[in-house]
Amino acid sequence: MVERHIQVVEPEDNVATALREIEAGETLTIAVGDGTVTVEALADVEFGHKIALEDIPAGETVVKYGKSIGNATEDVDAGAWVHVHNVESNYGRGDLSADSAEADA
Amino acid sequence: MSEFLGYERDDGSVGIRNHVAIISTAPYANDTVERAAEITENTVPITHPLGRCQTKPDVFQTYRTLLGYGTHPNVYGTVVVAHAGEIVDGDELASDVAETGRPSASINIHEEKGVMNALQATVNAAQEMVLDASDQRRVPADYSNLTFGINCATSDTTSGLCQHKATAKAVWRLIDDHDGRGVFAETAEFFGGEHELAERAVNDEVKQEILDRVDHWDKRLQATGYDVRGAQPTPDNMDGGLTTIEEKSLGALVKSGDGPIQDIVDYGSKIPDGSGMYIMDTPGHGAESVTGIGAGGAHFMVISTGQGHTLSNAIMPTIKITGNPNSRERVPEETDVDVSEALVGDKDYDWAADQLWNELTRIVDGKLTMSEALGESQFAIHRIGPST
Repeated sequence: MVERHIQVVEPEDNVATALREIEAGETLTIAVGDGTVTVEALADVEFGHKIALEDIPAGETVVKYGKSIGNATEDVDAGAWVHVHNVESNYGRGDLSADSAEADA
Repeated sequence: MSEFLGYERDDGSVGIRNHVAIISTAPYANDTVERAAEITENTVPITHPLGRCQTKPDVFQTYRTLLGYGTHPNVYGTVVVAHAGEIVDGDELASDVAETGRPSASINIHEEKGVMNALQATVNAAQEMVLDASDQRRVPADYSNLTFGINCATSDTTSGLCQHKATAKAVWRLIDDHDGRGVFAETAEFFGGEHELAERAVNDEVKQEILDRVDHWDKRLQATGYDVRGAQPTPDNMDGGLTTIEEKSLGALVKSGDGPIQDIVDYGSKIPDGSGMYIMDTPGHGAESVTGIGAGGAHFMVISTGQGHTLSNAIMPTIKITGNPNSRERVPEETDVDVSEALVGDKDYDWAADQLWNELTRIVDGKLTMSEALGESQFAIHRIGPST
């Protein structure tokens, strides 16, 4: 049965938002566009946090609202919790600019 | 019905509140302003750390913002209190307020020969205005007079999925059905969605201006030499599941709907008279963006919050809406509208928009918001450069 409280915004998204607490080991059938995707939760996921709908290799784009919300910093498996520990932003990255204060520190 | 009950002003605007503002032009007049407002009922003190030893871009921005409050549609009259001679000039500010037909007074602590004399003069001027303001009656006015401000606060992943959809439907109801205006802000929270947003501009000039201003913010943040994460998204955003500024931005833009953008204006500038949706160029810092939108003349603001927030403004009523079923428990006395049943229950977003619209029309007619009833407000003018 399709999960009512796990939401995907656009069909091309590779993450879903949990609108309930998810426990590791749960098998989840999630509506994506006109179809469904089934994944096994690899970790507990809190209300409001995200779960990967497919494998996202390190460096690849994490997609929500049909757009990039950043890049995976490690290989993210389908069913994994997706958050700050495995995704980085492409904006406001003074730490990556040539005269970075962090790089100098 | 397309009429509300408001206070007519000589400059043609119509207010939904009838405040007397007491405005400080520099930190050294703040205490006198606070004390005068404590003594005089129904006054709003406006204090800040700016107005002295600032470079010109900040002087212009501070002046523009204070004048925006002194001449706000919800303001009946204004007392300006200065410490001495300042680069943000008290007499000039009071004179510019008077040009809109509002009662105004200018008090200068040095010229009054002391804070006690200045306090007496401020209270005398404020008392007279408060008495006259209390004698003014609300009259019917067309909804087209209204400017609807929008801001996020402590966003989480529910914001873009739920409450922002209700907010967008409500603001476009005012624009499309009543020829009113809407304004949203927080340019640093357009990152990742700026191209789609710019496509909504009414012409190429506005389109380019949106892209340039977003790029300017990205460069300003990069110039710090640090990763912006922690400042954007904030720790409470991340607790709520938002991972990057792009994810926060794409959610944040949902509250602006998908209709045309008329223009993008400087921080604290008056929102133009024409009907439609406008952007004000502000940081994502809530107290600063809300203060800027208030200076722009928005009559009221819907603050669309994820985790719950105290963000509010004393001149422009702030209506807090949430779609996170857990938020009402976090800040119960600050949540005006809870539409979480549209996210986790059986309701739809038309229902959610109706909930918001019904509450905001009452607030326009005089019902207090939760934060007004508690006397909650913040005031923070965005600063551009260094003090000197």
